Amino acid sequence: MPIIDLPNIRLHVQELNPAGRETIIMVHGMFSNLAVYYFNIAPMLAKHYRVVLFDMKGHGMSEKVQTGYDLTSMTTDLRDLMDELGIEKAHLAGYSYGGLVALKMATRFPERVGKLAIIEGPDPSEQETLAIIDTYSKEFLIHYIENFADTTRLLAGKRQLEKNHRMYEFLFNETSIRSDMEGEKAFFNDPAVAAITNDTLLIYGEESNCVPSGRTLASRIPNSRLVLAPGDHNVPVQQPEVIGKELIEFFVRHDEMIVTGAPADCG
Amino acid sequence: MDQLIQENKLSKEQIFETLNQFITEVIGEEFVEEMDITPASSFTKDLEMDSIEIVAFSEKVKNHFGPNIDFTGWLSNMDLDEIIQLKLENIINYIQECQ
Repeated sequence: MPIIDLPNIRLHVQELNPAGRETIIMVHGMFSNLAVYYFNIAPMLAKHYRVVLFDMKGHGMSEKVQTGYDLTSMTTDLRDLMDELGIEKAHLAGYSYGGLVALKMATRFPERVGKLAIIEGPDPSEQETLAIIDTYSKEFLIHYIENFADTTRLLAGKRQLEKNHRMYEFLFNETSIRSDMEGEKAFFNDPAVAAITNDTLLIYGEESNCVPSGRTLASRIPNSRLVLAPGDHNVPVQQPEVIGKELIEFFVRHDEMIVTGAPADCG
Repeated sequence: MDQLIQENKLSKEQIFETLNQFITEVIGEEFVEEMDITPASSFTKDLEMDSIEIVAFSEKVKNHFGPNIDFTGWLSNMDLDEIIQLKLENIINYIQECQ
């Protein structure tokens, strides 16, 4: 499986349609992994673009490390990954904390970033942000158990529960993840965020606690548009097709209409 | 000609053996020992594989059977319920059809 060695970290990377003319890099959220995109949203985008997915450090099949979960370290990793894959410039899509990573990329390396799609990026200054993330983990686990675990097979169910439990235990108790996230509290007030000039799509679940964060970003980023989709913070899991279509509309259709005068159908 | 191609095709048993090996590599031998993996095993309920493990499994399928088998594309046409119901034999049949 493709593990890529970067100067600071070894990351698990998956690529779809490597021959695509332009690249979209998708960043997942905390306590998740690239599988949140791999089976539905990424293949939809891969009909038009090269799509690069990666597991953040400490997540999925990437290297487990104790420190460096702040946005600066995360974006250094992503910049290094782009260098390693020979990607000069890419569009970015990020979900939850991954959305903040995408925004930070646009502030630190504007010349490397095309369009930005932020899905459910939470305002880190909100007291509830960490609580939201806790809820999210619980919901994720419940969703997981309801959908994937068969309670009549305790032995098999135990393996996944233990695996998930180990991940939370590791990230919460053995890494700097919580203090790193707390250290990002002022991020939305950073003048660099208001200075982002990239075309930006903000997608939030209409039932999500994060909608006010979306409104804040919409008011600060000049070339941004806020879209509410049916669902809550888990909207990419709840409505992958809706999210995929919004992203295609944003990344592909708009471009093609400008470039060719008509939307291309690659399906 | 048709017959020749027919002869080169892997049998269902051969495909099953290969997939069985991939599953063992992904979830670990210690867990596989406690399971009875058959073509009727479902990925999520019987084998308790989560999505990132299915990603790793897909990667192995792609690397082994080659680019003609668009396993990820095939999966992406399914909704969550279908993926939850997915059995090993569905994949064996899919690979046989693609050969």
